[in-house]
Amino acid sequence: MENELVWGLPVIGYLFLAGLGAGAMVTSATLLLIGEHKPAYFRFARYGAIFSIPAVAIGTLFLIFELGTFQAGYWFKWLNLFTTITMSPMSIGTWMLVIFFIFAVPYAYTFMVSESHNKDNLAAMRKRLALPNIILGVAVAVYTGVLLGAMPARPLWNSPLLALLFLVSALSTGVASVLLFEWLSVKTGLSDWFAEKRGWDKNQMDDEHNDAAYKMATSGAVLIALEMLVLSLFFLYAHLAVGNAVRAIDVLEFGGAMSTLFWVGVVLLGLAIPIVLEAQQVMPRFTGNGTYTHSGMMIVLVPVLVVVGGFILRYVIVVGGQIAKLAGI
Amino acid sequence: MKKDIEDFNSSGFSVDKSLDRIPAVELNSDDDSISDSSGRRDFLMKLGVVAAGAATVIGGQTAAVAAQSLGKRKIQYAMVIDTRRCTGCHGCTVACKSENDIPLGYSKSWVEYIEKGEFPNVGRSFLPRLCNQCSEPSCVDVCPTGATFKREEDGIVVVDADKCIGCKYCIQACPYDARYVNPETGTVDKCDFCLHRVSQGLVPSCVNTCEGHARIFGDINDPESEVYKLLAVNSYSVLLKGMGTEPNVYYIGADLTDPNSDMYENSYVRIETHRREQERR
Repeated sequence: MENELVWGLPVIGYLFLAGLGAGAMVTSATLLLIGEHKPAYFRFARYGAIFSIPAVAIGTLFLIFELGTFQAGYWFKWLNLFTTITMSPMSIGTWMLVIFFIFAVPYAYTFMVSESHNKDNLAAMRKRLALPNIILGVAVAVYTGVLLGAMPARPLWNSPLLALLFLVSALSTGVASVLLFEWLSVKTGLSDWFAEKRGWDKNQMDDEHNDAAYKMATSGAVLIALEMLVLSLFFLYAHLAVGNAVRAIDVLEFGGAMSTLFWVGVVLLGLAIPIVLEAQQVMPRFTGNGTYTHSGMMIVLVPVLVVVGGFILRYVIVVGGQIAKLAGI
Repeated sequence: MKKDIEDFNSSGFSVDKSLDRIPAVELNSDDDSISDSSGRRDFLMKLGVVAAGAATVIGGQTAAVAAQSLGKRKIQYAMVIDTRRCTGCHGCTVACKSENDIPLGYSKSWVEYIEKGEFPNVGRSFLPRLCNQCSEPSCVDVCPTGATFKREEDGIVVVDADKCIGCKYCIQACPYDARYVNPETGTVDKCDFCLHRVSQGLVPSCVNTCEGHARIFGDINDPESEVYKLLAVNSYSVLLKGMGTEPNVYYIGADLTDPNSDMYENSYVRIETHRREQERR
């Protein structure tokens, strides 16, 4: 790897955080819509909404740090992005992020007001904002893949399946991050502090909470299964191609420069282990032969593995795409 | 960019028209070839009409486009690099660096050495590289601010440093690795066929300096230009044809060795890029 990487950690961090934040937003809005009258669903929706905004915002800041002009000391030149709309995925994505924030920030705000609960006077507005936020969350997540996929000169990225892969990964890391954020808030006492200061209802580990967590765990498992499917197709189609695509996928295969990180970090830790653990937990209730308890490794281990796997996936794809050589000259 | 050229024009710098004239462009030409060329244009116009008629019969879009380009002949500057004449002296690299004041460690034009074979069957060839000024530039497609674009008037792909934010998307998109971030401005820079010279009727600095006359510059759409004539009689190639970028830098006799090909798994091959990026894309 003698050539410098054009896009490094900031871009990887952006792709990861924007996907995760958008996924958390989709999770939040979905939970709000399906659990209208249930306080536990509302609490999860609040965790998702509050977590989503800084995640996407910090990711976007990373993107600005990566800019050549910013690094050369021209700190506000990126505002040029807002002077025009072009057909570049980056331009479309920039405007999409703007629209996302326009809808997501008021949505998150409705959760932030003191004594907010699922039947307060902002409930109608919150509900109306939920659907646009699902759509925009999906759009932001898809766009992270389209951004990379637009260039024939980067054959590893230039696959229509990459956008789908990033979308599914974004949604699954989104669900996991909401579970994780809830656990962290309770563990650090943040949740209790807010309950006392702002009159928010306290986190309760009741049946309803268990029910919401079960739905998240189930969709998490389904999303990982989908991600495995998309990843298999991604590999399959690269193999069935000739020239550039075959050479690019070699980077991820056994003996390739990114192979260990990919197979251990993404496939084993990020997909295989979480789906086995998650399936074990949700299957009894799913098949009607038992109950689900949101406990043990479901609370921490699985979400952590999914989130870490999601980051390594972005890392492997972004770096691998840049070190893959073109066929011929 | 435009402003720079205007400054340049008004700076009182006079161009010695006898030197390094581009044969293809007749800028303020006072010789009698002008009537010839207008006659030729008339002929081409008529040809265009005929071709347009033919196009409706053929129904092919390409034929219609061809007819259009014949009708109002657009200038597309191009370079032919006759590698048989290249000695690998790096004169073009140095001329480019001094002409364009390129920061240390970067280059807009460079010469690659390709070494292969085992004694006594050995070979070494040279591949001068620069921006291909593509007709289908993938860098332009991805630019979010419209900073990089292909000029209508001469087909040169340029970067407007005022608009560029340095996102490096175009660097990713360019299969030829012809772009870099200027460390002083943070914007992306690339070969622009020495636009400041070409707009004055001069040839690019690398063409001017090439001792073996390996680099030839001109309008590829002008049948009277040297580049056109060279391509009419020689076999030629472009780099990474499969990318569909339709480059306007043509090579005669280029060694298109791919060091990563299976063919060279068990035999010696070495590419020296002579630039910071020590490997090709």
